[in-house]
Amino acid sequence: MNRDELYKIAQAWFQQQDWKPFKFQKDTWKAFLQGKHGLLNAPTGSGKTYALWFPIVLNYIKNNPEYKTKHKKGLKAVWITPLRALSQEIRQSAERVTADLGTQMTVGIRTGDTSTKERSRMKKQMPDLLITTPESLQLLLASKGYDKVFKDCAAIVVDEWHELLGTKRGIQMELALSRLKTVSKNLRIWGISATIGNLEQAREVLLGPTTPAFENSVMIKANLSKKITVRSIIPEKMETFPWRGHLGLHLLEYVVPIINNSKTTLLFTNTRSQCEIWFQKILEKHPEYAGEIAMHHGSINKETRNWVEQAIRNESLKAVVCTSSLDLGVDFAPVETVVQIGGPKGVARFLQRAGRSGHRPGKESVIYFLPTHAIELIEASALQKAVKQNAVEDRLPYLNSFDVLLQYLTTLAVSDGFYPDEIFREIKHTFCYQAISEDQWQWLLNFLVMGSQSLQTYDEYKKVEVEDDGKFKVNNRGIAMRHRLQIGTIVGDANLSVRYQKGGYIGSIEEFFVSKLNRGDVFTFAGRNLEFIRIKEMQVHVKKSSKKTNKVPSWMGGRLSLSAQMSELLREELYTARLDKSQQSVEIRSLSHLFERQRKESIVPSPDELLIETFRTRDGFHHMIYPFEGRFVHEAMGSLLGYRISLLSPITFSLAFNDYGFELLSDQKIDIQQVLDNNLFTTDYMLDDLQKSLNSTEMARRKFRDIAVISGMVFTGYPNKGIKMKHLQSNSQLLFDVFRDYEPDNLLFQQAFRETFEHQLEEGRLRLALERIATQEIVWKPCEKPTPFSFPLITDRMSREKLSSEKLADRIKRMVAILSRK
Amino acid sequence: MNTHALKIQTQTFTLHPSGVLFWQEKSMLLISDVHLGKVSHFRKFGAAVPQKAVQKNFDLMNEAIDFFKPLHLIFMGDLFHSAVNKEWQLFEKWTTKVEANIILVVGNHDVISPVTYEDLGIKVVSEIQMEGFLLTHHPEERDGFFNFCGHVHPSIRMVGLGRQSARLRCFFKLKNQLLLPAFGEFTGSHTLEPVEGSEVFALLGDTILPVPIKEKKRKGRYSK
Repeated sequence: MNRDELYKIAQAWFQQQDWKPFKFQKDTWKAFLQGKHGLLNAPTGSGKTYALWFPIVLNYIKNNPEYKTKHKKGLKAVWITPLRALSQEIRQSAERVTADLGTQMTVGIRTGDTSTKERSRMKKQMPDLLITTPESLQLLLASKGYDKVFKDCAAIVVDEWHELLGTKRGIQMELALSRLKTVSKNLRIWGISATIGNLEQAREVLLGPTTPAFENSVMIKANLSKKITVRSIIPEKMETFPWRGHLGLHLLEYVVPIINNSKTTLLFTNTRSQCEIWFQKILEKHPEYAGEIAMHHGSINKETRNWVEQAIRNESLKAVVCTSSLDLGVDFAPVETVVQIGGPKGVARFLQRAGRSGHRPGKESVIYFLPTHAIELIEASALQKAVKQNAVEDRLPYLNSFDVLLQYLTTLAVSDGFYPDEIFREIKHTFCYQAISEDQWQWLLNFLVMGSQSLQTYDEYKKVEVEDDGKFKVNNRGIAMRHRLQIGTIVGDANLSVRYQKGGYIGSIEEFFVSKLNRGDVFTFAGRNLEFIRIKEMQVHVKKSSKKTNKVPSWMGGRLSLSAQMSELLREELYTARLDKSQQSVEIRSLSHLFERQRKESIVPSPDELLIETFRTRDGFHHMIYPFEGRFVHEAMGSLLGYRISLLSPITFSLAFNDYGFELLSDQKIDIQQVLDNNLFTTDYMLDDLQKSLNSTEMARRKFRDIAVISGMVFTGYPNKGIKMKHLQSNSQLLFDVFRDYEPDNLLFQQAFRETFEHQLEEGRLRLALERIATQEIVWKPCEKPTPFSFPLITDRMSREKLSSEKLADRIKRMVAILSRK
Repeated sequence: MNTHALKIQTQTFTLHPSGVLFWQEKSMLLISDVHLGKVSHFRKFGAAVPQKAVQKNFDLMNEAIDFFKPLHLIFMGDLFHSAVNKEWQLFEKWTTKVEANIILVVGNHDVISPVTYEDLGIKVVSEIQMEGFLLTHHPEERDGFFNFCGHVHPSIRMVGLGRQSARLRCFFKLKNQLLLPAFGEFTGSHTLEPVEGSEVFALLGDTILPVPIKEKKRKGRYSK
């Protein structure tokens, strides 16, 4: 069959559905059938699955002309999805194509939720089309004879590539692809990505820089114009609207008419705990919604999640309170309206969420923005402009992440073993490891085999062995088993499963939260009030409770920061506070009361001013600086400034950051005049100072946590499996100290500092920000009491950073002095 | 070194900043929760904790012994973290150089057979009772005895102005009990809240720091 005949099959199918294929779909079919690789830039709900399932099936038809009667078994294509919740949906669209075209192809799913029985069945006979996650793909590479399984695989599709790019799961994908390029001779690699700032780079990372695959690839853009309308929810009485907070419950009643006026509404919250609270409160205030609203987040069990998703499709729900768990994939046509509660911290994310409504090509998407505190209204207004300008963020890919590489090498050693030369050639062609040196490679191999760089006496280190022919192999079953369990935990936190005492899985929560509970404590989880009974074998036993509680599990979600463009829009928006009302947006106008209060104590800065406020409370001396550059820049600037001040005299700071500014809190007063006289905002020696500041803060220490888990040095155990490894549990904090004291040149230890530097501190943006500050007049306002601008910062108790140039003994002495005071 | 002397009943005990406790009248040195072999155990299971950390425990024990020159050395349990591994050989060598008479009060981690210890001349017991004092691994309450114990790995959280805080390992004393800090290099600690009647002595570099207790919680005791 030639290509035209194949297209006709596809066209005929579209006609039967009364649809017309989009240009991007036809372009993708063509490129795929020509044997090209590529990246498809298409939003959710645009028909992107058909853009790729079709050519995959058509390609099979082409190679098997008797496809209607004969079935050639074996894996033909793999579809990677970052969220297992999406796999059902993808399967349905695949099955529709395979069945309607009369093939006998089979479709299967393999994720963390797949039963062992189903997995072993797959081991014997793989489905033709496999839908899986990056972790499960790694697990396949960890099983014996994987090369035979993938031999005839003709396509890998990485869905939602933008979600993986810039994460360590993305590196897992880069590595798996580098291997499969060798193993599967006829492989086409395709990515699907929503719009991000660095789409071209996304293609390069997926396919590997300067590889034949990259040379032979295309970028296809769907270019579907979609009208998005953003509406801010503005309280009638701004005077009583709080200056701080993160829940937004004050505006709950404003959401009710929105829910009532549309078929189905999704309410997006930023954290799972916020999601739990909103769900509870809506029901409490409006019991009439019982049975008509539901909740969806990543820690709720699979059955409930599936039920909710199905109920959205059936239009049997009025509203769903959810988190990013409903950001991606799944086509929910009935959703008419979306409400974003609190700042979405990212234009791309906001657009994606907005796109969940009016989920049909050509329909208008409406998204409401509900501010959780007053200053967030500035963000709401800036967001509207950002949406118009499509000011989306970049996703920064990682470089030289040795932890993921070590994990991958162990994976290969667990299955069939590997020869270093062959693998080195492969990984050199990935984006992540393009610059790895031979020395670093040798270091990693030594680390795998000896657990150090030379053989040591009294050592029994055991992991990977080198066989006589030079093959690196894991022969110890215990090590292999622990490694397989560990692959899934790329974001490392000990999770415990929550169960009723009599059985019945409810979901999973972080150990961090459970450790603070005592027997009899009641907490809210999955929309229920539960009484804590005990922890047993990685399980939290609970029973239902009718007691009221305000305890809600917190999950340490990833923190997000505004893009440079968005920060600029935010600044511009703020500066309009000085203008005449007629030139202001409705959000800024509604904040006039707050600006008035701000001016009473301090000022609202103009474009050529940098505002610094200082005041004292019973917490200590607060020093507030407002560059309006976005959280990451503030983290970097806070560390830099804190470090430079700490060089003047020994001092200890607690630092807080948000998108507007940062706080240096200390038990000592800083002389701001001295800061200005010493020109501490200079870009001179910036890089050097920033690097040194890392030693005085704990950022690298926290980064090390994930690195220790991913590289297999800390075993987190495994929820649901109930496998006890208590004798192997340590915490990464202890480990960090041991490395600092005994092996500071360890590449993994150093990686923690490098990653903090490259990913958290965004040196480039910091430099630009400091250059901008150099052109500004610094206005220092000593205040009597906290200002509206300072409020969200000084009340932040959770995500603080420490920085100190003092001896611990001196700090403790002062603490003792306070304690001794009567 | 700034030690701290403590009178309990009629006897004198010296708290040392390394976390050991010395009973003057009996010339008896108490060391708790060393967790020897832990680093090697992790390495054996494929977690590459720096092997150089192994030596530190021995160095610290030598310093403490040189300081007090005790006649008796009592390990208060969890001396060895796991089953025998190669670190045992280092321990074996080390014991030949120790002149004191060594006794192990057995703890939950001590799975190595008493016979193996006895081959090194180390006596293994479940507890020691002596002149109104009871030495155990797990905290115990027994009428008429003051209890020295380990197991808990106590530490204390200090807070200051400006949202500052720090955690320090400590000796944690109650009316009839004293919890020893974990001595081992690669061990964690468990933060305790001061309670009514408790006294806390934190380990701070080369000093023992008595921590003033401001807010006292409900009448306390510690047992597990």
